[in-house]
Amino acid sequence: MSRSFTLRHVEPSKPITFDPKKCIGCNRCVNVCPIDILLPSASNGETPVVAYPDECWYCGCCVMECPAEAIILGHPLMNQVRWVEKKSLMKEGDLK
Amino acid sequence: MQRGLNWPYKSEINEMEEMDADVLVLGGGIAGCMAAIEAAKKGKKVIVVEKAAVKRSGAGGSGSDHWEMAATNPCSNLSPEELVEAMMDDNDGFNNAISHYIECREGWDRLVDIEKMGGKIRDIDEEFVGAEFRDEKTKLMFAYDYKNRVTLRIWGTTFKPAMEKEMKRLGVVVVNHVAVTSLLTEEGRNGSRCIGATGINGRTGKFHVFSGKAVVMAMSRPARIWLFSAGYPGLCEFRPMSCIGNGHAMGWRIGAEFNMMEKSVKAQFSASGKSYPPYSAGNNHNTWYAASIIDAEGKEIPYADRDGKKLENIMDRYYPSEGQKFFMMGGNIEKAKYTYEGPETIAYGELKNKGYKLPFYADLTTLPDHERNVIWGMMVAEEGKTKIPVHQYYAKQGFDSAKHVIQCYGNGWTSASFLPQERQLFGLPGGFMNDWKLESNIPGLFVAGDALFASNCFGHAAATGGYAGRHAAEYADKNNLEKPCEDQIKIEKERVFAPVYSDLDSGITWKELNQAIAKVMQNYCGEVKEETLLKTGLSILKEYETKIVSKTVAANPHELVRLLEVIDILTVSQIIIEASIHRKNNCEKLEFIRSDSLPGEYEPFIVIKKDGDNVITRKVDLNYAGDVKENYEAHNGAYIKEMRH
Ligand SMILES: Cc1cc2nc3c(=O)[nH]c(=O)nc-3n(C[C@H](O)[C@H](O)[C@H](O)COP(=O)(O)OP(=O)(O)OC[C@H]3O[C@@H](n4cnc5c(N)ncnc54)[C@H](O)[C@@H]3O)c2cc1C
Ligand code: SF4
Ligand code: SF4
Repeated sequence: MSRSFTLRHVEPSKPITFDPKKCIGCNRCVNVCPIDILLPSASNGETPVVAYPDECWYCGCCVMECPAEAIILGHPLMNQVRWVEKKSLMKEGDLK
Repeated sequence: MQRGLNWPYKSEINEMEEMDADVLVLGGGIAGCMAAIEAAKKGKKVIVVEKAAVKRSGAGGSGSDHWEMAATNPCSNLSPEELVEAMMDDNDGFNNAISHYIECREGWDRLVDIEKMGGKIRDIDEEFVGAEFRDEKTKLMFAYDYKNRVTLRIWGTTFKPAMEKEMKRLGVVVVNHVAVTSLLTEEGRNGSRCIGATGINGRTGKFHVFSGKAVVMAMSRPARIWLFSAGYPGLCEFRPMSCIGNGHAMGWRIGAEFNMMEKSVKAQFSASGKSYPPYSAGNNHNTWYAASIIDAEGKEIPYADRDGKKLENIMDRYYPSEGQKFFMMGGNIEKAKYTYEGPETIAYGELKNKGYKLPFYADLTTLPDHERNVIWGMMVAEEGKTKIPVHQYYAKQGFDSAKHVIQCYGNGWTSASFLPQERQLFGLPGGFMNDWKLESNIPGLFVAGDALFASNCFGHAAATGGYAGRHAAEYADKNNLEKPCEDQIKIEKERVFAPVYSDLDSGITWKELNQAIAKVMQNYCGEVKEETLLKTGLSILKEYETKIVSKTVAANPHELVRLLEVIDILTVSQIIIEASIHRKNNCEKLEFIRSDSLPGEYEPFIVIKKDGDNVITRKVDLNYAGDVKENYEAHNGAYIKEMRH
């Protein structure tokens, strides 16, 4: 299969994903972000642009502000914490 | 961002706006908002200038779970005087007795104010009825030491939006998205009265000139001095990127005095890849106090009191040990002295010998329901950055605090291990020197919150903010507006906008400069300091200032704000080296080590300032605050009377 190539900037992580189906383009997230990393989209009503993803503080303020639950915030892969069921750690004799 | 995309905001690069106020507040975090509210309540015309947007800006904008040292709350068993004495003693005197006395004495008053604004400070939803940490009458909830009850559990995510509303109600003018770049002084002179500030809009590039009869500095503390990552700049440090010490740099340039700037600690949190997001991983300190910790095979690690006596019952973790009046904080994070040391899990070295296996996990499953649900659901949720990416998202992925255990990384609450030269201004670092009015040596320049030396915490920021706002209002009553010096404005305007006109392709970006500064600081001002090394580092930084800054570049106002931050980091790094050169001896509580230490001479506070090209120091007694109760009352008679009514 043939594939044409593109040139792009490689980001180390992707903190913010918008759901274009839910977003109403109100820009409340853009205006509340404490680092001001989001920009309003060029055309009215579209999702904002994550202009400076590397500067994200992962605070969740944009998500708290969004009236449409249209934002997903995710820690970078390296920061994803591991948890397990306690049962899985214990030897059989320890389980009540 | 991709090259060549259009900037969505209109360029106002040649526009200038002038505004004036009785009280001009710089930085709209916890301290700045509280200062503005107090000054506005006194009938003053107030402007707040904020780099981001006050609704969620600053270290406390996204939330907070503890309100520390509220000694005057109705359930407290400790007095402000004994708490401040403990804080001073615990740091061998290297602490800010004035600001912490204000925290202990007025913190509760400000919390009640915030409740009236709409912040949630009590368990009004009756979620924790019957819990040992809850006072049934007031519905207040306490943390750490359940006997003495000075630290409150709070719903901090509700606070900043409530403060924003209150400012609106009081007619405070909030100027969002404008970064303050310099302080203006009477006739443009170094060391004379502060009469205003300049700023630029981070979206449009518009230049602002603000005049104030009194000015409150509330722009937090420096960061990214030793720690930087171009890939994850937003995660380099604990506090948000906007808080990097702009205020310190501009204060230094006009001759403000600084104290304890030679203090730094081995990094603890958030140097990008090195640690996990604060409070997102397993540990048993602070937010997570007093979670059980288990080893890789599920075996519980015992807690012990300060005498090493094993604590058999979970609830013993919340009480002072035999013969102890109180303990400070939860878990021995700050290595408290024996007198104030609280319960803690047994040290890792000992555990290894006893056969406990790594990794460890925080285990909430065996805690009483109230203790489990308050840690996971209130503290983790209200705390800084946990509501969405931790509490909400872990739940979506199936995390159940009654069933699952969360892994600990590193040793304890740090959740990482750092190298000795990877340093931070963390805990109680240096900052602006203050008197009993929280005024700096620059007349008319008041300071509040994390910008003060040896300062930290939400309640401290609110209390000192309110206090500075009140005293600034009094100052404004006695002083007139002064017209800013035109030369000072012109020079600043040229400095600020120069990078926008540099050649984009050959210029140096803020990231390249920040990375270089961090490397210099790690190499020349790391854990162990030495005079010749410090002086070499200083000369490199001065060279950056004279030869590199003129080559820096910014493509738009957002980048320009980031660049101006790094130019300020360059200034702050020089303050730190200067302070390190002027302290000659090791000092344990400042975590200050010199290989060429000259023991013998006793060194109290060494306060430094710049005068032209010279750095001037003076020694200040560690007890300069004097009798805290007496001096507080001498300066706050009207407030004390007002609060009685
Ligand atoms: C994740 C996290 C959790 C925390 N949890 C707690 C807790 O539970 N309990 C506790 O007591 N403390 C906690 N703290 C600490 C506490 O939040 C801070 O001590 C407190 O917010 C300091 O208040 P401040 O007003 O001095 O600074 P901030 O609240 O940080 O406000 C400073 C403001 O100044 C603005 N600013 C900076 N530079 C400029 C400029 N050049 N121009 C204009 N504006 C500028 C910033 O944008 C910011 O809004 C936590 C901190 C973090 C980061
Ligand atoms: S998580 Fe915080 S820093 Fe990141 S985009 Fe949202 S509001 Fe901005
Ligand atoms: S706040 Fe939500 S709805 Fe509004 S622009 Fe942002 S993502 Fe879209």
